[in-house]
Amino acid sequence: MDILYIAVNILVFLLLAPLFEGVVRRITARVVQSRQGPPLLQPYYDILKLLGKQNLSAGNFAFRIAPLVSLASILGVIVFLPLGHRANVLTKYADIVTVIYLLTMGGVGVLLGALSSRNTFALIGSSREMITMIMVEPVLAMTFILGAVKIKSLGITASIFSVAGGGYGASVIVMMVAYLAALQAFVGRQPFDIAEAEVEILEGPFIEYSGPNFALFKYYLLLKQMFYAMLFVIVFIPAVKTGLYGVDVLIQLAFVLLVYVLIALLGSTHPRLRIDQAQKIYGVLIAASLVAVGLSVYGI
Amino acid sequence: MLTIEDVKKQLKDKYQSDIRNFEHPYGTRLFVDVDRSRIRDISNDIIRMGGRYLVSVGYDNIARDKTLGLVHTFSLDAEDMFICLRTSAPVDNPEFDSITPDIPNAGWSEREYIDLLGMKFTGHPKPKRLILADDWPEGLYPLRKEVPWNMMPPAAENVAYQLDDAPEGCTTIPIGPFHPTLHEPEHFAVYVDGETIKGCDYRGFMVHRGLEKLCQTQLTYNEVPFIAERICGICGSVHATSYSQALELAAGITISRRAEYIRTIMLEIERIHSHLLWLGVAGHLIGFDTVFMQAWRVRERIMWFGEKLTGNRKTYGMIVAGGVRRDISPELADELLAVLKTIEKELVTIHKAIAGDGSIHRRTKGVGCITTEETKLWSLVGPVARARGVDIDTRRDHPYAAYDDMTFDVPVVDSCDVWGTVVVRILETFEAIKIIRQAVEKMPAGPIMTEFSEEIEPLRHSISAVEAPRGEVVHYLITGEENRPERWRVRAPTYPNLQGVPAMLLNNQFADFPIIVGSIDPCFSCTDRVMKVDVRSGTAVRVSGSDLEKISRAKKFAGR
Repeated sequence: MDILYIAVNILVFLLLAPLFEGVVRRITARVVQSRQGPPLLQPYYDILKLLGKQNLSAGNFAFRIAPLVSLASILGVIVFLPLGHRANVLTKYADIVTVIYLLTMGGVGVLLGALSSRNTFALIGSSREMITMIMVEPVLAMTFILGAVKIKSLGITASIFSVAGGGYGASVIVMMVAYLAALQAFVGRQPFDIAEAEVEILEGPFIEYSGPNFALFKYYLLLKQMFYAMLFVIVFIPAVKTGLYGVDVLIQLAFVLLVYVLIALLGSTHPRLRIDQAQKIYGVLIAASLVAVGLSVYGI
Repeated sequence: MLTIEDVKKQLKDKYQSDIRNFEHPYGTRLFVDVDRSRIRDISNDIIRMGGRYLVSVGYDNIARDKTLGLVHTFSLDAEDMFICLRTSAPVDNPEFDSITPDIPNAGWSEREYIDLLGMKFTGHPKPKRLILADDWPEGLYPLRKEVPWNMMPPAAENVAYQLDDAPEGCTTIPIGPFHPTLHEPEHFAVYVDGETIKGCDYRGFMVHRGLEKLCQTQLTYNEVPFIAERICGICGSVHATSYSQALELAAGITISRRAEYIRTIMLEIERIHSHLLWLGVAGHLIGFDTVFMQAWRVRERIMWFGEKLTGNRKTYGMIVAGGVRRDISPELADELLAVLKTIEKELVTIHKAIAGDGSIHRRTKGVGCITTEETKLWSLVGPVARARGVDIDTRRDHPYAAYDDMTFDVPVVDSCDVWGTVVVRILETFEAIKIIRQAVEKMPAGPIMTEFSEEIEPLRHSISAVEAPRGEVVHYLITGEENRPERWRVRAPTYPNLQGVPAMLLNNQFADFPIIVGSIDPCFSCTDRVMKVDVRSGTAVRVSGSDLEKISRAKKFAGR
């Protein structure tokens, strides 16, 4: 039975991540931009179509392995996620450091692919991606550390459940706001889609990718987006639970949908920032999350 | 206030016999024949009088007196005056003093005639190839009359444009020939240090269609407006109007007042749709697709109306030499007013949203700055100039069509950046709506076409300017003997504005490249007019015009 929970984790993410993306596109089109927009299932079609195309490679090993590294890392993180408020058999083997490492590995895969393609636009994109990673990762880390400080453990479930487990104090509120503000940067959307910026650097790190390789990267991005949305729900909205595993998962998915609506609305009402402007905002977010951890040390 | 007589007197006093002749056949246009040795001095004097450089016109006069002719044209905006300095040089020694060192905007015009007519300009700072394809043979000058309009020299391999050297420590980022920012095939090499732009080189003119040569050799006066309209896919009417006005001036005919009113309405309809189009594109360029979608949704109303009025969403085909092709009925005029009302209402909302959006300000304020002096030095035009405190607008300064009857403001801001161009364009759209309302209200009755049957006297020079949405369009016409222009020179607004872009880019962030280039509302194809270029590689099978026709007909009927 233990393996079943892991399978649920993976299946829920693999199956639903493109659907949520479809929701974002639909909301952007219908609610904000007065358009019809593509069908809800369009992201699935996109991936299927890409998978069916010829696989072109820049010719080196790193270029081919990079999408696999990214996809594998994000799936690795997803496995540990305590979906439905229930830790699975693997969760206890990892701690929050593992999670942060694996998430970074995903980004490293993107950089690896970009750098190995030796394209000028990919190089610019990867330098922007690197800046983004370095500057928003602390917000994620602080979120975990906030919980870890409270419970004095680096275990995944312990730290995750303790963030808001003891109610919404000032530290939790500050952290929640910082996380939400960083969310667009985590998932690479406006105003922080700077690394891909189509009109400037033509999708940056991914410019040389096409076909199945690109499909893997696309899937990686979709899964990453859903992971960050789900993490928000698990960490900051733990109170709504029934105790029934299936129902809890569904409730969490409903909240994830709400987070996606937020992502869509924020993304479609902001222009893209320049990297130097974004850096300043990231700086503020890091400071805010540090403040939150500081507050939690004093139990506020 | 200078009058034409003042200008004549000043020039005559200073240059004596180097001024050969004055001609001012149409009131506000002064043509001066000058000695070629003094062309640079006299040009500088015109600038000192308050003149603004427009464009240079080169033409082949070999058959008549073995010379190549050159005209530098200027506008005195405050005095409603055009001054054209005409000179010539023998074809075996076609050397002129370059005016580019003092008037940088003449750079492209002069390079154009190095390429197309084989002129030489001493002192030109960058006499590189501008117009011709890289594999076009040396010494073959396509605008000379000896070269047939449909000539195709064999293609050559392994030739490439040599880009300028990158400044030390900079990397080169290639933008183009195909890039989502550009929409048209052009090539910028942007030299960046980190993400800061330190310079750029431009290689354009990749989509020549040889329109000027075509019209000078194959078409008749009455057919040219339709070709002129196809110079630009967005603001075609301005070209048709400008050409028609130049021709009417040369032929000495006055068209009916009603036709002039309809021209005014068409030009303003075009301005509304063009500015809304730009607003959308600008939103897209800074990654704000919602502005893009909403601006284009609002714009769609005027497109539908255009189709109802003329049969086409764009490329209206309304303006012809002697008047316009269709009348505007009272019912259509009412519908136009209703459409304008909706657009105005929605535009107010968009204007408020943009004005209050801090993140748009962050991406456009202080971006692409150049000073008012630099703008004047580079002779920039249109919203690009008006956003930088240069108060020029051809509609007010050199009234044409029915603009002398209209009251409207010319929005000028002095923020000197991309934000200024956003503001100017939005305000101009409101002004355009105002103008159309007045025109509809005051439109007199009368015929819409004035026939002119008399032969037009050959070798008359005339010049006409029209304020396009992107800036001022200038058409220079020399009438010919075979019922077609001897020389027809088109200067689209992007031609001067694009030359000012390197100055705007300097020391900005690379991320701002799209919006800075976008802020001039570039229309690359408009600048690319003169040559017919075969780009197929050496081994490709040549397809003749009639073959193409057969292929397209076969395709057309294949589906039945």
